[in-house]
Amino acid sequence: MPATIQTDIIDLCGTVGKILLENGAETPRVETTVEYIGKAAGIDLSCHATMTAIFVDSNSDPTTHLVKVRTGDFNLQKVDEINTLSRRFTNHQINYDQLKAGVTAIDQRVIDFSWWQKILGAGLVSVAPMLLFQATWSDLGLALIVGICGYLATQWIGRHSQTPYIGVGVGGLVIGCLAVGLQLSGLANSADNIIVSALMPLVPGVAVTNSLREIIGKHTISGLVRAVDAVMVAGAIGAGVIVGGALARLLMGGA
Amino acid sequence: MRLLIGFIFSFLSTVGFGIITNVPRRTLLPAGLTGAIAWIVYLITSQLTSNIIMPNLLAAVTIGLLANAAAMWIKAPVNLLYIPCLVSLVPGAIIYMSLKDFTLGLNGSAEQNLLKTLTIAMALAVGFVIAEAIFYQLKPVLQRWLATSNKKG
Repeated sequence: MPATIQTDIIDLCGTVGKILLENGAETPRVETTVEYIGKAAGIDLSCHATMTAIFVDSNSDPTTHLVKVRTGDFNLQKVDEINTLSRRFTNHQINYDQLKAGVTAIDQRVIDFSWWQKILGAGLVSVAPMLLFQATWSDLGLALIVGICGYLATQWIGRHSQTPYIGVGVGGLVIGCLAVGLQLSGLANSADNIIVSALMPLVPGVAVTNSLREIIGKHTISGLVRAVDAVMVAGAIGAGVIVGGALARLLMGGA
Repeated sequence: MRLLIGFIFSFLSTVGFGIITNVPRRTLLPAGLTGAIAWIVYLITSQLTSNIIMPNLLAAVTIGLLANAAAMWIKAPVNLLYIPCLVSLVPGAIIYMSLKDFTLGLNGSAEQNLLKTLTIAMALAVGFVIAEAIFYQLKPVLQRWLATSNKKG
């Protein structure tokens, strides 16, 4: 096989891995997908993925391709589309050029639900089933609105700031501020219930569980990276909520 | 009645998280149903026992089995179903409370909640391992059944 085609395939595999990892696929899936594509394209590949980088290496050649990754938000639709493409490629339903064009298209396209759908989604998540019979119905209704505000604040800050963790921190601040403010103004019964419920879209619960699944699956490094990241996110949220609550008390003049 | 309300709200919550994490639209309905059924399993088991491991473990086994079956049905990676389904079970609120207590200097309850977070997450992860082990045995049967029903349809 000519060297240029080989580097081209490795390059494409690096892009595939990068898209998968950036949008929330777990590292074992990234590795197996890349290796399957390599095999179907005709070269024997090894892939190693951690949360921060992907290494793609052809087994017959000493060159290694390294892709740096910055993991961000979940965008599982991209994961699904890459998966469909690679499935069709390994079944020989599409050829290599079609695969390449498809991957490039997915990499550049913005696939997203519309804003109001996302707002609705965040609102639905903010009514936590865990609290259904512990919190009053009016508190849960308020949590829906507070949760939307917190989610929007997080997304907006995340888009305008490069500093990691500041988005979730501000989200926590908004939620803490609103919840304590509502309680002080007498509209809500329990600020704590509203906070816990409204934080559901932001808290890293899924990340904690996925990190443990990866550790059990012997992907220890990425599991630990995910766990530490989750603790940092939770810390940022916790600090944000406390500052927000204090701010609300200061503004409303309550105790 | 409580179960019915729980079912509806966990369904909505799962679908909502699916929208936030941008899952493909065809996975929303199976994910929502799986999440809701797992939540019912959680509610029923937590009435029978006082510890927190058993309900989470059984709910995770339920998610694991149903999500794997649904993933085969709609041909999607199973993780796309796991992530939204987990949202109502996952110890997100507890890890937040733990870190909040650290910020306030209440180390005792912070440690307690952190340990609880780990316990729940471990129970869920082990549940998935069990479910995948069971599903690995069931897979050939299901595949055959899907193949025949596709032929008929």
